[in-house]
Amino acid sequence: MSLARPAKCLLCSFSRAAAPGTRVARRQFHSTPAILSNRKSKFPNIKAPSTSTNPENYKSYTKEEKEALAKEYSEAQIKAIEAGEASIDPKDMAEQFRPRDDPLKFKYLDDFSVVEPGIDHHVRAPESNTDYNFKLRKDDDFVEDFGRFFAEMPDNATGLDYMRFANSLRLTHGKEENELNPNSSMVPDLFGPGETVDEPRVEEQTTASERGEKERSVAAEELTDALKSLLLATGYTASQINEFRIKTLVMHSVVNQTRLGKVRRAYRLSIAGNGNGLLGIGEAKSEEPTDAKIQSQYRAIRNMQPIPRYENRTIFGDVKAKVGAVELELMHRPPGFGLRAQSLIYEMCRAAGIHDISARVNRSRNKMNAVKAAYDALMSQRDPEEVARARNRKMVDVRKVYYAGRV
Amino acid sequence: MSLVNLAHVCSHLNNATKARLGLTSIPNSNLHLKLCQALQNSGYISSVVRGGPTPPPAHPILGFPTASDEVEGVEAITRDNVASRRLWLGLKYWRNEAVLGKVSMISKPKRRVNLNVEDLRLIVRGYEGKHVAGLRSPGESLYLSTDRGILEARECVEKKIGGLVLCRVA
Repeated sequence: MSLARPAKCLLCSFSRAAAPGTRVARRQFHSTPAILSNRKSKFPNIKAPSTSTNPENYKSYTKEEKEALAKEYSEAQIKAIEAGEASIDPKDMAEQFRPRDDPLKFKYLDDFSVVEPGIDHHVRAPESNTDYNFKLRKDDDFVEDFGRFFAEMPDNATGLDYMRFANSLRLTHGKEENELNPNSSMVPDLFGPGETVDEPRVEEQTTASERGEKERSVAAEELTDALKSLLLATGYTASQINEFRIKTLVMHSVVNQTRLGKVRRAYRLSIAGNGNGLLGIGEAKSEEPTDAKIQSQYRAIRNMQPIPRYENRTIFGDVKAKVGAVELELMHRPPGFGLRAQSLIYEMCRAAGIHDISARVNRSRNKMNAVKAAYDALMSQRDPEEVARARNRKMVDVRKVYYAGRV
Repeated sequence: MSLVNLAHVCSHLNNATKARLGLTSIPNSNLHLKLCQALQNSGYISSVVRGGPTPPPAHPILGFPTASDEVEGVEAITRDNVASRRLWLGLKYWRNEAVLGKVSMISKPKRRVNLNVEDLRLIVRGYEGKHVAGLRSPGESLYLSTDRGILEARECVEKKIGGLVLCRVA
């Protein structure tokens, strides 16, 4: 053996380079080529904390930045910003602050940029704006104003100049704020000028293209006659129907034996729910499977009925139902239990907005009858209020009392 | 305490509510009377009157016979008429449904079920106790025969007494 080995210290054998240089592939039991070296990702990933903990991101404002801020904010706001900056050490910020990306972070529906009259504290002009001694201006005063306007009018006067004059024209003597921004004890209007329930206010309006959504108007979709009559009968809009949870649960073919032979047709059973207490089932048969599916879905939407829910999460009491040979039992469960039921009942509960339930299906498990029986069971719940009135006794929900009505 | 007769009463009540009867009668016994009074206390039935083989006259205002009817009164029990006495029960209906749901025996003539307070506490909270299913639906009751009379399961828990389970009303 005359292989020359480089001289190495003893400790070098622990380091990575000292490991055997070539790796010999072991026996392969598959056709995929063996990876001989430690594979590295093509795209190096950056961990979330490293972006936020970079001290470069938390520096105090430079002079130029402050000047730029001064253009945007008032003096008082700039002072507040500076005070805030001074109170927090940028080093602490870099070490401790991290934008939350965990699943429990609070999801705001609003960016709080607009004062909502129904929700927020009313913004009112201060009482000091009121001037009790104001007097209406006379005709002479207006004549004087117009005279001054014509006298001071530049040679190349435009409509803009007149607009500026008309806006600055005042109708009263006294405090200016009293006329322009009077104090009022009346509650502000819920809707701003030109705003309705359906139309958002001007500053909140964003077009679909701005939001990056696909252009999808009702006219573009070309409503079918069936959908039109559904919209007419139910009063829902096409967009509302798009948001319903619709699912076709049972599909098989049925055969009618006639003199001429067997006539096969497709059978579909669908459920529809709004995820908030409404659920309906619909079934349809047709030569065309797609036709049967759509028919059954529309019938399910037509048949949607409110389902009693306890605390909007589970059912009132345990209920049983029987359709054909399917006998099933639905059981109410505590919060956080989840939907531990077979697939069909699970889908129905999801569509109806029930979150805690367990079910047991006895005897037959025919899909069609199971869905019908589950629907019957959900509809057969007894309302405790009704029970109390029927028995002429007072009934109290102890959970509600214990949690002071906050459940 | 004949549980056989009580079982007959339970199934008779089920049949009567299914047939939509307003007034029905069951054989007279102290057990039946006490149970019916407990049911009346819970609001399942409207009236309990001890009468003869024919239905007692209805109260002029209420429309059903009552034990406190001052005009008609209740016939006193004598040695002659005691065998022909029956209990007349007024059944209730609300929104097209019988107020008295299904009445089912828990104890059977051959197997009597006694429950102590610990088991009753479980049952009242909706858990199973001693092979008796919990009260999990709104308006469900369980009646027990205790040494302080026939009581509802929740009253038993309140008074910390156990007893022989008679029947469940759903």
